[in-house]
Amino acid sequence: MPEGYLRPRLDALRRHQNPDGGWGYFPGKRSWLEPTAYALLALQSESGSPAWQKGWRLLRSWQRDDGAWQPNGHVPEAHWSTALAITLHCANNIHDAAFSKGVDWMLATSGAETRLFNRLFAMLDKSPTGHDLKLQGWPWRPNATAWIEPTAHTLVALKKAAKQVRNSELSRRIVLGEGMILGRRCSDGGWNYGAKAALGIELPSYPETTALALLGLQGSREVDLTAALRQAHHLWQDSRSRWSRAWLAISLRSFGSVLPEEPESQPPTHDLILTALEALATPEGGHRYFRPDGVAA
Amino acid sequence: MKPCITRRALLPAAAAALASCQKSPEPIPFAGTSPVAVLKAKNYQEDLVTHILTGIRLCGLQVKDKRVVLKPNLVEFDAATSINTDVALVAAALHAFRSLGAASVTIAEGPGHRRDTFGLADEAGYWKGVKDFEDNFVDLNRDDVSPIKNFAGQAQFFFPNTVLAADLIVSMPKMKTHHWAGATLSMKNFFGLVPGAIYGWPKNTLHQIGIPESIVALNRQFRRTFAIVDGIVGMEGNGPIQGTPKKAGVLVFGKDLVAVDATCCRIMGIDPAKIEYLNMAVDLGATNPAQIQQRGENAAAVRTNFQLFPDSTLRLA
Repeated sequence: MPEGYLRPRLDALRRHQNPDGGWGYFPGKRSWLEPTAYALLALQSESGSPAWQKGWRLLRSWQRDDGAWQPNGHVPEAHWSTALAITLHCANNIHDAAFSKGVDWMLATSGAETRLFNRLFAMLDKSPTGHDLKLQGWPWRPNATAWIEPTAHTLVALKKAAKQVRNSELSRRIVLGEGMILGRRCSDGGWNYGAKAALGIELPSYPETTALALLGLQGSREVDLTAALRQAHHLWQDSRSRWSRAWLAISLRSFGSVLPEEPESQPPTHDLILTALEALATPEGGHRYFRPDGVAA
Repeated sequence: MKPCITRRALLPAAAAALASCQKSPEPIPFAGTSPVAVLKAKNYQEDLVTHILTGIRLCGLQVKDKRVVLKPNLVEFDAATSINTDVALVAAALHAFRSLGAASVTIAEGPGHRRDTFGLADEAGYWKGVKDFEDNFVDLNRDDVSPIKNFAGQAQFFFPNTVLAADLIVSMPKMKTHHWAGATLSMKNFFGLVPGAIYGWPKNTLHQIGIPESIVALNRQFRRTFAIVDGIVGMEGNGPIQGTPKKAGVLVFGKDLVAVDATCCRIMGIDPAKIEYLNMAVDLGATNPAQIQQRGENAAAVRTNFQLFPDSTLRLA
């Protein structure tokens, strides 16, 4: 990847790091976990620097007593982005008590729809979703239902953590989570936020969630992903959304696809997650941080 | 044969049964009157700025020195149908509110399904249709937030600072049918005020609270409001996303969002009394035609029946 594409993105991330060490969704805004995690991954090669370490310490400070991470310093709630914190720990080979507590929290969390009470309600529904409610995925926040994106991120984190965590529950939840994703697949071969139909009418897939679902399914030996990867390629070719293209590039490159490079002339935007994702999506970039250890592209 | 009951119907009913154990007093119905203006507009090439200025004047809205947030309905993009508030109307509103001396005018939205708000806005033509769009827009899904206590039974709920700081939130929905709520208009448009960065995509917490309950709670929370409903081309059938375009040729304005939505329902040929969220909002505004001061066109004269989703329990009035 020519320096002309990657360097401005890394420079923008360095320039827009907040004084507390984190990153906001946009320059000058409060630090949140999600952009901070992606920025730290994009700048992983500088992990020894004081600036990187300051961001890392801030992110670590947002872990709650129950093991979950909260989305920022002002919202004291357990949050799906715990998965990103665990992925970042794995990228840095840090498997300490905080890491273990985070993994335990993810293993104890699942979509509310899989609880017995809600499954009984679902049996009464005259317009059922068709979802197998035994297949536990992960919600955006506790006590909500499971969706593709948080499930995919959590699968990535758990698969990366698997070498360090000897726990049969982890293997069981990976199988169930993969099953949940496969059960929500749209008829066009991809995924949207997590509903393949509404009121009996099929819904289309989205580029970014298709990319994430594929990342979550990496390493699954039981599943033939050929059609899904083909759909992801189509979406990558057709999409003009830079957010979608970045996630699709990360995902497709994780599966070994060779993609043309994005034009050098495209400047970074003021969206700091997009800036980090575009840096991670470069051919020699950080797609490997989303790949489970031991899984070849 | 499956039992003929939906989970969406059963969960609120169960919640209501539990709530009845400690029943709060019945809300006192709104007793005042509310002006609602209906203006004809054949297409988006008309002078929409003048239409908006007329609607604002007919409703007696004061804009000067206010921090205004324009909240369009930006959901998903499909070139084959009309899901989103047309950019021409949003651009005209930006111009109109600025011309009236607003302290600031910001376009803000937090789509419920798509994470890439700026990409969605691009597909919907907002980047081309609004000058310096990026400088005038806030992604409410990823804005900084502050807590509100006791929202819809939640001890603490977070909202974007942009909307909490606004003196006036202008709801700019598309006039659409909705396969669950019956219609999606200015009140339901406030779902986009809830930050996805905390509550996710979709904002599942609102579905758990209940769709009508959430609509009413959001409108109880945000009271400094005005509505400009894009009914030039709306959506009928399987709204809010998979329906078909429906020309109604109107713009509907008002400070009382309950009265605006009730009027829109009448224009769409839907009995407002059959819309659950309007029934739950009797203390917030006027649904009774006797309490709605109709200005501009007569709503009955511009009525254009919208086809409802076949499974809907609603019938045309």
